[in-house]
Amino acid sequence: MAVSKSVIVFHTLLPEFEYFRPKTLQEALELLDKYQGDAKVMAGGTGLLFFMRLRWMQAKYVIDIKGIKELHTIKYEEGKGLTVGATVTLSELFENEIVKNKYPILWDGIRQLADMHIRNRATLVGNLCFGMPSADTAPALLTLKAKLNVVSVNGTRTIELKDFFKGEGKTALKPNEMVTSVFIPEPPEGAKGRYLKFVRTADDGPIMGIAVLVANPRDPAKRIVRIAFSNVVSTPIIIDEVEELFKQDKPLGELAEEAIKLIKSKVTPKSDVRGSRELREHLMEYGTRYLLKTLIEG
Amino acid sequence: MKYVGKSIPRIDREKVAGDAEYAYDFTLPGMVYAKLVAAPYAHAKILKVKYDEALKVPGVLAVFTGADFPFKVGIYAADRDVLAREKVLYYGHPVAAVVAETLEAAEKAAELIEVEYEPLPPVLDALEAMKPDAPLVHEKLHEYKHAPFIYPKPGTNIATYLKLRKGNIEEGFSKADVVVENTYYEPLISQGYLENWVGIARVKSDGTVEIWSSHQSPFAVRNLLATSLGLPIHKVVVHHMYLGGGFGGKAGLLLEHIPVLFSMKLGGRPVRLELNREENSFYMAQRAGYYFKMKTGATKDGKLVAHWGEYILDAGAYADYTVNIARSVGLKPFGPFEIEHVHVDSYAVYTNKVPTTAFRGFGLMEVLFAAERQMDLLAKKLGMDPVEFRLKNVLVPGKSLTHTQERLREDAGDPAGAIREAARLIEWGKPPEQPKEPWKFRGKGFAAFWKGPVQPSNAAASAIVKLNDDGSVDVLVGTGEMGQGTITALAQIVAEELGIPVEKIRIAPERRTDMVAYTWQTVGSRGLFSDGQALIRALEDLKSQIRKIAAQVFRVFEDQIEIRDGKACVVGEPWECISLAEMALGYMYPNGNAIGGPLIGRGSHVPVRNTIPDPETGKSVPAPFYTFGAGAVEVEVDLISGRVKVLKAVMVLDTPAINPMLVAGQVYGGTVMGINIALIEELKFDENGRLLNPNFTEYKVARAGDIPDEMIFKTLGVGQKDAPYGAKGVGELTMLPWPAAVANAIANAIGVELYELPMKPDKIIEEVKKQRPELLEKVKEALKIKG
Ligand SMILES: Cc1cc2nc3c(=O)[nH]c(=O)nc-3n(C[C@H](O)[C@H](O)[C@H](O)COP(=O)(O)OP(=O)(O)OC[C@H]3O[C@@H](n4cnc5c(N)ncnc54)[C@H](O)[C@@H]3O)c2cc1C
Repeated sequence: MAVSKSVIVFHTLLPEFEYFRPKTLQEALELLDKYQGDAKVMAGGTGLLFFMRLRWMQAKYVIDIKGIKELHTIKYEEGKGLTVGATVTLSELFENEIVKNKYPILWDGIRQLADMHIRNRATLVGNLCFGMPSADTAPALLTLKAKLNVVSVNGTRTIELKDFFKGEGKTALKPNEMVTSVFIPEPPEGAKGRYLKFVRTADDGPIMGIAVLVANPRDPAKRIVRIAFSNVVSTPIIIDEVEELFKQDKPLGELAEEAIKLIKSKVTPKSDVRGSRELREHLMEYGTRYLLKTLIEG
Repeated sequence: MKYVGKSIPRIDREKVAGDAEYAYDFTLPGMVYAKLVAAPYAHAKILKVKYDEALKVPGVLAVFTGADFPFKVGIYAADRDVLAREKVLYYGHPVAAVVAETLEAAEKAAELIEVEYEPLPPVLDALEAMKPDAPLVHEKLHEYKHAPFIYPKPGTNIATYLKLRKGNIEEGFSKADVVVENTYYEPLISQGYLENWVGIARVKSDGTVEIWSSHQSPFAVRNLLATSLGLPIHKVVVHHMYLGGGFGGKAGLLLEHIPVLFSMKLGGRPVRLELNREENSFYMAQRAGYYFKMKTGATKDGKLVAHWGEYILDAGAYADYTVNIARSVGLKPFGPFEIEHVHVDSYAVYTNKVPTTAFRGFGLMEVLFAAERQMDLLAKKLGMDPVEFRLKNVLVPGKSLTHTQERLREDAGDPAGAIREAARLIEWGKPPEQPKEPWKFRGKGFAAFWKGPVQPSNAAASAIVKLNDDGSVDVLVGTGEMGQGTITALAQIVAEELGIPVEKIRIAPERRTDMVAYTWQTVGSRGLFSDGQALIRALEDLKSQIRKIAAQVFRVFEDQIEIRDGKACVVGEPWECISLAEMALGYMYPNGNAIGGPLIGRGSHVPVRNTIPDPETGKSVPAPFYTFGAGAVEVEVDLISGRVKVLKAVMVLDTPAINPMLVAGQVYGGTVMGINIALIEELKFDENGRLLNPNFTEYKVARAGDIPDEMIFKTLGVGQKDAPYGAKGVGELTMLPWPAAVANAIANAIGVELYELPMKPDKIIEEVKKQRPELLEKVKEALKIKG
């Protein structure tokens, strides 16, 4: 949907673009470097193509990375963590035993993202690079302190996920960079977690979502509590101070109340077509309470 | 009976095989593409349209603007520009169009069109639009042509109004011991059909206009296209194909005139206008918004005595069928109950929003949401059980006077039986088992309903039955197939009447207006009732021809021939038969003499004894039948998520079913649709009148995961004598009770009274905070961590 000059054209067709399907990462990086901002990486295309049709995203060159074999890897190292390549689909991760057993909080996010048809094509890395506040896998990955492995012709770097999101549709990537994989550290010892997604209908994008990760709640010295949200503000966010707060040696009921207060003081939810600010305030408060209680007591 | 009343699988199974053809699939050689461009203002004067750059794009044949078509079209009132002239009336209003050899070229050129506007203050709310100083959407309303039963008020935004008067309203309220007065609101929604609209038109050298389009009612398209463009009816040929859903949104004339007019300007070249989902939301008419102000009174022993109402429909920029829906809700302003004194004024009002038109139920689901809430609120005030209260007031066939002062025919149905049976099936009176999560609350809710077709008093139908060489049958009817299953039910009637298997009957999915039998429209749950009656008469006609031939062959009277198992036999001597195949094209004696000739049956239907509403009181017999029913639900309200889940839905319809499986399909579909409308559907506009959710990413139709856990339905088999095998319409009916039943159930679950749709999480939480804040405190308490 583009407002061009003084008329609106609702496009049926994608804009014209040149399509590349490189076989090697090097080739992809060279193309990205050559075209800079005019090129877009495409993984599953479920976000990119939809937005391009509506003219919400522009690309003269589309670089489809699904032909690059090395990006299609899932690697797990006991004690270190899980590396998920850029072309691994959400369905593949949903079927993966390591994800299911070691990273239930992430699996919970994947399970609730769109429907099977979308998950068969959509990738985990694409969900993050799309840069939407509504990214359903982001809150879990924020609580897991995931990092993105980023490359360009100039070399590689690592970006902490919490520093990655820069506003709706914006990320910390430079125009010639792409993400090769996401690294998800081994969850803290004894960690449990869930992603609670609030929707309008089944298979909906989130009104908002909450990921809570809890480890060793009854032991203040080893206790870890992390809380992150999707779609309450313009990016997915983790409330860092929550982890500190829960280190205090106080009754858990009291800490939970303090955490809710802290969150409310830190986050002013947005109002949009999916829900009002007042609804999001309620969901944030009651959803967080619910998850804390279930994870701590259950 | 062998075929009627049986759950025979649908005959349109091509749909699941994937080879069913829809208008969207249709192409013609040499076809060119039209693309509309829209205005980004809800209300603005058009100062200048510039398109020289657009014309330069290779492949572009023409650019059109409003000035090229200096006339208006419309259904009941000619209020619609082909392309906006002088003013744009809503955000998304088409201001110009490109026609090009390819869609690529058309889209590219469309972006190069420039329009200058002078923005005007828009009016975005129907109540605002009623105010005397409101901006006018249509200043020249006095010039518009309109049907005689539509009453636009020039100098205002009122597109039409209807007055209903029964008894004496002051006297009614003077008798009332309890009175309930409320205002209800229901937003604009989308019909949400799958197949976006498409039309492919061409004009032949002899002046014949042909159109293939995505519509419900081929004959209505033909009539309205011909009258709008001043063409003789027989020079307009409308092709109907399988329809990917309509739900009222494709009744009447849609955008067919656009490709037709473009083709005329381009020497008859076939022109295709296809809409994508966003365009469909902006260019096709949606469902109106509603305000219902209602005041209803009853005596302390539970007798309804008075109902006053002011109903205001937000018709958007063009009122299409919404003018007739204002009549519909005015004529059926309350549920199936007898009230001595009724006074209702109903208005359709123009606003600067997307145009609106029909939707499944034609206003009845909407009015029943308010009316059946009133019933529960009255029952509460009276301290009476809501089911008992309904039974005390329910219409009694043969006795009661409806709101339009019609004495119900004695075989009109069984409204009380439906209420009783629905109450039994939901185990009314037995409180629901409460879930163990203290933030979830369950409650049951009830609503009664009724509806008859809203149609002209002479809305006709016809049918032709042709017997083929091998005894198989071709049936020609005008009713469209859009998923409702009418053609399967019609085939069952043919099978029953001729004693031949359904497999020997063909009812082609395509309709050509010059080659099939006429029917007024495929709307209003009238298809089976109207086309079915015509078909039965056609079969009677065919059978009498069969009897005549067989009587001649066997040298008996015609009444001594019976037709069974595809044969005509002598009564009492079933071995003395001629097969239908032997006489289909004429019966031949052994010596070569032939009699008869090809056998064709024809039959017609018009509603009998229907009358035009009196303009001062609405007094009339507006419909040839009413289907009565009741719905009940058990819901669970989750005060963490604010979501309402329907656990169990019960529906009872009083009518017999020609095909129980088809009725089940309607019930399941109607239930899921009605509940979703109750809970989440709305077209959202910003403060400038811009539609914010024109596609299914943000306009949420129900998904498989939203289907209630348990759906139970029952038909009571109480038929109306002139209906085919007694069967009355059900298509729209299956949706009517849900918003009211769900709202009543929510009230019973959490003690929160709702007066607005949708009952979305935002609303639930907001109202709990206002009406029952202690519930949230309880939830908070329950979520406290121990230790
Ligand atoms: C019907 C539907 C429902 C949806 N529902 C949900 C939902 O419930 N929850 C949700 O979170 N999302 C949802 N989405 C959005 C989308 O499907 C997901 O975000 C998905 O994970 C995107 O992955 P992809 O592989 O398809 O990304 P793509 O569409 O290929 O890419 C998305 C963006 O990321 C960039 N990108 C992709 N890979 C890389 C890379 N390796 N390096 C740099 N940039 C890259 C692209 O350039 C593009 O800008 C939905 C989409 C649709 C169409």
